[in-house]
Amino acid sequence: MHPAGAAAAGTLRQPSKRRVPVSQPGMADPHQLFDDTSSAQSRGYGAQRAPGGLGYPTASASPQAAFLGDPVSNMAMAYGSSLAAQGKELVDKNIDRFIPVTKLKYYFAVDTVYVGKKLGLLFFPYLHQDWEVQYQQDTPVAPRFDVNAPDLYIPAMAFITYVLVAGLALGTQDRFSPDLLGLQASSALAWLTLEVLAILLSLYLVTVNTDLTTIDLVAFLGYKYVGMIGGVLMGLLFGKMGYYLVLGWCCVSIFVFMIRTLRLKILAEAAAEGIPVRGARNQLRMYLTMAVAAAQPLLMYWLTFHLVR
Amino acid sequence: MAFTLYSLLQAALLCVNAIAVLHEERFLKNIGWGTDQGIGGFGEEPGIKSQLMNLIRSVRTVMRVPLIIVNSIAIILLLLFG
Repeated sequence: MHPAGAAAAGTLRQPSKRRVPVSQPGMADPHQLFDDTSSAQSRGYGAQRAPGGLGYPTASASPQAAFLGDPVSNMAMAYGSSLAAQGKELVDKNIDRFIPVTKLKYYFAVDTVYVGKKLGLLFFPYLHQDWEVQYQQDTPVAPRFDVNAPDLYIPAMAFITYVLVAGLALGTQDRFSPDLLGLQASSALAWLTLEVLAILLSLYLVTVNTDLTTIDLVAFLGYKYVGMIGGVLMGLLFGKMGYYLVLGWCCVSIFVFMIRTLRLKILAEAAAEGIPVRGARNQLRMYLTMAVAAAQPLLMYWLTFHLVR
Repeated sequence: MAFTLYSLLQAALLCVNAIAVLHEERFLKNIGWGTDQGIGGFGEEPGIKSQLMNLIRSVRTVMRVPLIIVNSIAIILLLLFG
């Protein structure tokens, strides 16, 4: 700048004078990239390097600048990065077709109030009046906003707790070994998968036009683990009588819960008014709903009875 | 309680194999489930039987080549690991 003036001014100018030569080559390099190649693709790359280039000392910046100043390798790098971006977009789109990853985050958007209310509903659904979810167009309703919306947090937590409680129950009977935990988890997951596949198959066969997605179905079917945990814990504390009482209560609650929830999804047109409409199609749908709801207590008993002695 | 995910996979593979080996002429036509016997008109909705026939036909069409691959993998794994 003005070396003579800076030297005359004193020490305050000197750090700034020392700092400027360091940063100037760093700042100049991206601009040199802009001016050298003057192609549209290098501009984005140059802008990306600018924040990093500011902090770099001059020694490492210049060989990189010399390497990237070559137009061919610059273009090759830009092509490679655009190809990578396209590939990433393609993979994301295809994965989104099979497993809707972007929608999954809505199912985990819960808060404490929702979890409390939902657990209360699972154990005592008899007083709840309005089971309809406030309709939202293409994204799933975040459970934080509506207590009737399905979530995946409770089923996931309940599943893991079920596996741990099963391990605890087996341990109190001296039947525990670590691989049994994996066996319990695998067995419960296999039953869940089988249930989901069976329900999807029967929904396809009965040609139900429903907005029940697969993730919704997994969420609804996962709610029975809560009752199972309650039953097994009571069985641990109070023996077989406690187990049967609590499991019976939870079975009836889950039955009512599932019927009231699925009625709105599967029997959409008829259930809105609450009038049982006669007709082969609606009767078939009603049977399907009852079958799905009746399978829940059966599975709850089947997955827990061997844990309580 | 030996119902694991692996046994579910095995059962699914066996079921899909079973659907794939159904013989059109000798079997399905004899019970009225052939692919050319189905489809009614443009009715309101297909019944369960035609949905099932559609499902069988689509499974057979779609899963022929993947089944070859999956069966080969299963054979190799069973030979290696018993």
